[in-house]
Amino acid sequence: MKTALRYAAAGLALLAALAPVYWLITISLKREIDQFAYPPRWVGFAPTLENYAEAFGQGSFGAYFMNSVLLATISTLAALLIGVPAAYGLARFEWPRDWNNKIADWILSTRMLPPIVTIVPLFLMLREAGLINSLIGLAIVYTAFNLPFVVWMMRGFFDEVPREIEEAAMLDGESRAGALLRVVLPLVKPGLAATAVFCLVVAWNEFLFALILTQTSAAMTLPVGIASRVTQYEIKWGAMSAAGVVAMLPVLVFATAAQKYLVRGLSLGAVKG
Amino acid sequence: MALEIQSISKRFGAREAVSEVSLTAEDGEFVVLLGPSGCGKSTLLRMIAGLEAPDQGSIRLAGNDITQREARDRDIAMVFQSYALYPHMTIAQNIGYPLRVRKTAAAEIVKQTAGVAERLGLSRLLANFPRQLSGGERQRVALARAIIRRPKAFLMDEPLSNLDARLRVEMRAELKRLQHELRTVTIYVTHDQAEAMTLAHRIAVMSDGKIQQFDTPSNVYHRPTNTFVAGFVGSPSMNFVPSQDAVLGIRPEDVELSMTDQPGFTAARVWVSEEMGNETILVLATVLSTGEKQITARAPAGTRLDFDTPVWYRFRPEKLHRFHTSTGARI
Repeated sequence: MKTALRYAAAGLALLAALAPVYWLITISLKREIDQFAYPPRWVGFAPTLENYAEAFGQGSFGAYFMNSVLLATISTLAALLIGVPAAYGLARFEWPRDWNNKIADWILSTRMLPPIVTIVPLFLMLREAGLINSLIGLAIVYTAFNLPFVVWMMRGFFDEVPREIEEAAMLDGESRAGALLRVVLPLVKPGLAATAVFCLVVAWNEFLFALILTQTSAAMTLPVGIASRVTQYEIKWGAMSAAGVVAMLPVLVFATAAQKYLVRGLSLGAVKG
Repeated sequence: MALEIQSISKRFGAREAVSEVSLTAEDGEFVVLLGPSGCGKSTLLRMIAGLEAPDQGSIRLAGNDITQREARDRDIAMVFQSYALYPHMTIAQNIGYPLRVRKTAAAEIVKQTAGVAERLGLSRLLANFPRQLSGGERQRVALARAIIRRPKAFLMDEPLSNLDARLRVEMRAELKRLQHELRTVTIYVTHDQAEAMTLAHRIAVMSDGKIQQFDTPSNVYHRPTNTFVAGFVGSPSMNFVPSQDAVLGIRPEDVELSMTDQPGFTAARVWVSEEMGNETILVLATVLSTGEKQITARAPAGTRLDFDTPVWYRFRPEKLHRFHTSTGARI
């Protein structure tokens, strides 16, 4: 009985999570007449790929997709490149008077104000720098946006690695950088993977900044591109759904590839092993 | 390849962890730093290793000043209390790591790893990972990793303290043999006086960041320089009895017992009796001019005395240690 209830609850949760996804996928495969059919056609419609053709053939979703891929990749790499050494420094080198925690708190505090309040200053700064409508401009914003999380997550993972392992490596002949690269980083791989997935997802789904800071298709990302199909005259449900389905894929693929580390990464610290 | 430490000091905030310590370990010598936790022995070791920078003083190894050198350039190997094996590497990779860092040829690494593993009885474990090994095996891997590159000096930070009692005694003997064969100067940190007594050529007894005595185990035991050393070394501890002009110290084995009242003996009763099998430790309650006092005595095996049994004791006069009342220094 208990088991049955558990399965029922799990099934319900699964249904709630997957129903919209299913709806999205089916819409992307339906002709317009089927999209608006009432009662809704959950199954049993003639599938078509015309929406995909429209989105990626005539439309600029292909370009948006590439923009999103580039942006997510670059901003994630940049955030890791800057954030991981920062986290390592905070975890390993002790400043007097608790400055480690003060610095860490200050870094985190940059995320405590609602993002929207930073939009205007950001817009003005990027405009002065000529980085409106540019992938570089957005990449800088996303990197800054993700950095506090990288620093905080990675600091926790570095704290878990016993200092002595690193000291042993240094006595065995490694420089500190060598010990970090060849001994510590391999040990925090799960943490790195979890952090990277987190950054990727944030950059991939981000809408607000992308909407304000890009106005032409030169740097428009998928979420903004999709939303732009809601126009004064019509709403392109089919093309939007097709683009939405494609937009899900990269995150799915990456999360699946990193899953081995993801579970360990996200639960590290809770359970020592 | 002697290791010379010249008046080295290290301060952490307001606390002086190591204060003006000087110590020379001769080539091939096994030196044990012995002291209670917080006495500065680990800090001293870490400064020798290059993991902690001294505030002043110098360290010379094989004639070269290494005070300012990075840990990796000192050619010193260290065994940590937690073993500090690399969890993501196999045992073979762990042992061969110091050679790999030094860009030794792969074939040579394999050969030397096999040799060292053989010597420490690790041959069949080479493909395993550290987490699959028992504590004793991990300890051996840590040792193997330390000896493989023939460093100029070994440092050991309580390497046996995470092992169970039986294994600890076994490894202790092995370690002694290994050091004898390698003849590499070794600095070994412990708070366990049995390890210090059995392993060391010379023991440096530390407290409050200073070396209290640096001498052979026998001299540390039989001629302690002050009450701290006298009380710290030896188990059960030395008895201290105040007298008019000095503090008298007497080891439990130098307390002579009698079941009858004899001239020169003092009356006492058995406070508690601990039968160990090979001997019996008696804690006696007695009344001295200064008040009630407990005296520990070592009695032969088979001594079986009930609580409160009356006994008589005396201190063997030739075995009495005398210490200055205020400074605690040996007289």
